[in-house]
Amino acid sequence: MSWLRRVFARKRLEMDLDKELRFHFETQVAEKVKTGVAESEARRLTRMEFGGMEQVKEDCRESRGTLWLEYLVQDIRFGLRQLVKSPGFTSIALLSLALGIGANTAIFTLVNAILLRPLPVENPNELVLFGDGGAQGLTFSVPEGRWQLFSDSFLRDFRHQATSYSGIAAVNSTQSVIKASIAGSAYQTAHVDLVSGSYFSVLGVPAFLGRTLVESDDSAPGAGPVAVASYGWFESHLNGDKSALGKTIRIQAQDYTLVGVARPGFSGVTVGQSADLWIPFCMNKEISPGLPKPDSKFFQSLHLIGRLKPDVKPGQASAETNLLFKQIMRDYLGPNPSQKHLDDIAHASIELTLGSRGISPLRLLFSLPLKILMTIVGLVLVIACANIANMLLARGVARTREIAVRMALGASRGRIVFQLLAESALLSAAGAVAGIALAWKASTLLLRMATPGLNPVPLNLAPDLPVLAFTLGLSVLTALLFGCLPALRATGLEFTPALKDGRGSSSVSARGNLARSLIVGQIALSVLLLVTAGLFVRSLIHLTSIETGFDKRNVLLFYLDSSTAGLPHHSPDEIRSVRLQEQIESRVQAIPGVQSDSFAFFTFNTGAWSDLVLFQGVPRTPENGQEVYFNNVGNGFFSTMGIPLVAGRAFSAQDNQNSPKVAVINESMARRFFPNGLAVGHRFGVGETPDHPGEIEVIGVVKDAKYTALDEGSLFAAYFPCAQNVGFYGNFAVRYAPGANRQEILSRVRSSIAETNPNILVDGVSSLDEQVDQSIAAQSLIARLTSFFGVIAVFLACIGIYGLLSYSVARRTCELGIRLALGAQSRMLLWLVLRESLVLLAIGLAIGVPISLGSTRVLKSLLYDLSPLDPMAISTAIVAVVVMTMAAAWLPARRATRINPIQALRAE
Amino acid sequence: MNTTDKFDLPQGTLDLLILRVVALGSIHGYAIAQRIQQMSREALQVQQGSLYPALHRLEYKKFLSANWKASETGREAKFYELTAAGRAHLKAETENWSRLTDVVGLILKGTLEGI
Repeated sequence: MSWLRRVFARKRLEMDLDKELRFHFETQVAEKVKTGVAESEARRLTRMEFGGMEQVKEDCRESRGTLWLEYLVQDIRFGLRQLVKSPGFTSIALLSLALGIGANTAIFTLVNAILLRPLPVENPNELVLFGDGGAQGLTFSVPEGRWQLFSDSFLRDFRHQATSYSGIAAVNSTQSVIKASIAGSAYQTAHVDLVSGSYFSVLGVPAFLGRTLVESDDSAPGAGPVAVASYGWFESHLNGDKSALGKTIRIQAQDYTLVGVARPGFSGVTVGQSADLWIPFCMNKEISPGLPKPDSKFFQSLHLIGRLKPDVKPGQASAETNLLFKQIMRDYLGPNPSQKHLDDIAHASIELTLGSRGISPLRLLFSLPLKILMTIVGLVLVIACANIANMLLARGVARTREIAVRMALGASRGRIVFQLLAESALLSAAGAVAGIALAWKASTLLLRMATPGLNPVPLNLAPDLPVLAFTLGLSVLTALLFGCLPALRATGLEFTPALKDGRGSSSVSARGNLARSLIVGQIALSVLLLVTAGLFVRSLIHLTSIETGFDKRNVLLFYLDSSTAGLPHHSPDEIRSVRLQEQIESRVQAIPGVQSDSFAFFTFNTGAWSDLVLFQGVPRTPENGQEVYFNNVGNGFFSTMGIPLVAGRAFSAQDNQNSPKVAVINESMARRFFPNGLAVGHRFGVGETPDHPGEIEVIGVVKDAKYTALDEGSLFAAYFPCAQNVGFYGNFAVRYAPGANRQEILSRVRSSIAETNPNILVDGVSSLDEQVDQSIAAQSLIARLTSFFGVIAVFLACIGIYGLLSYSVARRTCELGIRLALGAQSRMLLWLVLRESLVLLAIGLAIGVPISLGSTRVLKSLLYDLSPLDPMAISTAIVAVVVMTMAAAWLPARRATRINPIQALRAE
Repeated sequence: MNTTDKFDLPQGTLDLLILRVVALGSIHGYAIAQRIQQMSREALQVQQGSLYPALHRLEYKKFLSANWKASETGREAKFYELTAAGRAHLKAETENWSRLTDVVGLILKGTLEGI
């Protein structure tokens, strides 16, 4: 680029310009000499005709069109010198900018990755998701309300008839985290997505190597023992070796042939859940052998993603989809459906949502918190900008004389504004660089804190183009925000008084109202941020003080994987799983320090299984008609979890496969079904209209305990013994005596499990209190972040007030000295200075409090058992702001009272 | 020098005159000024203060190219030449100019029909 060359070849250009003009000059002189003029006279005349060689040169430079760039280079150099000259200002400004821009970039990185980024597939805008992707798991229910999960047979029947779509892809809503062995090597954890044969062709994701899945792979149950690997897994587990195609991957007892590797960058359609392997859904029974009724038409576990034909409007597609959905479901009910099921289906619907960004439970969970955090960090940045603007204003005043001199020497106002803005741009650019570095680490850390667990959520958080563009835009905006007003203010001065004035002092109004309104704004925003922080903290305190119903102390949790143990399923032999669990339980029970232990389907916040029940002799009413949450547990479960028994008995060895079926229910359920009597001894069946009515007898009642979340309401819960609900349940809880050596118990439990069966693998170890903490990780992260930013905001506002008052005291040294000399009390001087900040504080509060009261309503859904107008949070915020600003004002005010009148008067 | 015959050039005409002069062959700045003065029969005198910024502007716009050569006096001087773009620009502007002067002339002489 030639203009770039010109800047760097500036010296040569200057020499050429000088040479060219000198040639003209000399030639003209020579001409004059030729006509008989004396040489000295000729030179004088020529110089007059030329009229200012430098002006001509400047005009030439300007017409070269690169002057602005030369100015820019000059300005940046000058700006750098200015910034280096005042390290205090520079470091405070840089620190607040790095923090402000860094926080914004970090949160935006998450917003981008979770809320904005489109799937790396062909034409993502044509994709629609059936439902919002909020439901996960498996349901056999007849559809009602907004339906999210679909069966394989529905997909086949629907696809056959629908005309709006060029194709429909399906993926199992739960990812299978499972052990896989490549060509006989050691078992390693793999994340498997079960997908329809149409998956890759509908999404338009080609193979990097080999082929992707095709329809024929997914034609009939068990017919497609093939797998496609993600590029990342191919690189990490197969070392990118192309000869790996055709290798065998063993999962459970089934061998799969690796037929291909998907295009790099594609790792599935679920945000925050990447797949290592894709296997046809027809292998569902082989991958998850424990699941009941896999061939049912109501085995609904799939998410569907359709690709609309180019000319089909979403409205048309929605109408057709819902019509077909109801017809097909009606067919599935058979010839004699119940009226209730017919009603359910009549009220069921499929809401088509945007599919371009994939399926994201993270999005549903974090959408509002992220938006709130984005607003908060945005406000923090605004406060930081106000602060820097204030400091720049003060510097502008200090540089009044310099600027006046430069303008008097002929510098244009635009040129000086530009120069001052260059200084601001330098600051914000440096802040942006530091901010990106900060954000890169911070966003990963934030994600880890928000979603704790054994495995980190796989989300690509490296700064990509949208993030970099956001940060660049942000830094330009901030530079303009804090640079513009001070620069205009600094140059909009009247010369004469500025030049007449002494060095470093100036008229009062030069800073005046602009600086004050900035501080008022800072105080108002600080109040808002502190109120928000206070609300989240108070809500968190409420959450953590919820009675869990179990004793979370001293319990270790082991997550076990049995997929390589070859346990039998769907056969009378299945009881071996229970025997295995009992062996582990009794071995661990013998470890010194262990008080009790138990296997369980679920512990806390690990998932849920629910259905309706019908008690014999108790009609179903709206009060007792809600779903009951079930759990299959070992005999030591209640003592291990510390859930007290209030009536009847707990499970024991006498409750086995051959004895009558029994259950323990919780107090809420007992009280609701039997308000006036004992629940023990009553019998119920599972289901809306139970297949085996009254087959289960209640033998005990336990206190309520939280099941899925701390903030759930009181649920009905029923516990069944593992021995009567056969299967291998991977959650193993161990309660140890207080003060026992936890590490030793942990390793001895591990070895006990390995001794019992070496093919039972320990996936991870946690503890019950960790699990409780993790269930509110997002809330506690939000509370911590908002508090952090609230404190930063107040701190920045305090720096602003401190700076303003220090400056005003320094400026009024002489006046204050005279007052002292004339007999003013130091208390009066203190008041004189404090009064200024009190007024600002009062106005700031008068603006900030109503804004807070008006805007905290948006937080309502995120607050547990707390009004968004919680007086405690609001008054704490006000007190904090008042105390902090008064402390910041106190220091300079104190200084005012210690002025020595004699020195003050002499100094002038 | 008689100054009463001199007048100010309309905006933009200087560029046109320079291009016209340079079109005659490779030439340096001083000679351009001389040539314009001669061709206008001393009516136009180009000031250095406008000549050189104009030359640099035309060079920046790639209508002129320049290189250093020895002048008639033996000193090195910066010689300007017309580029292809410059030639096209000159042609277009010259046509514009003559159309403009014709029309303005017609109006000013009052022979336009209807008046």
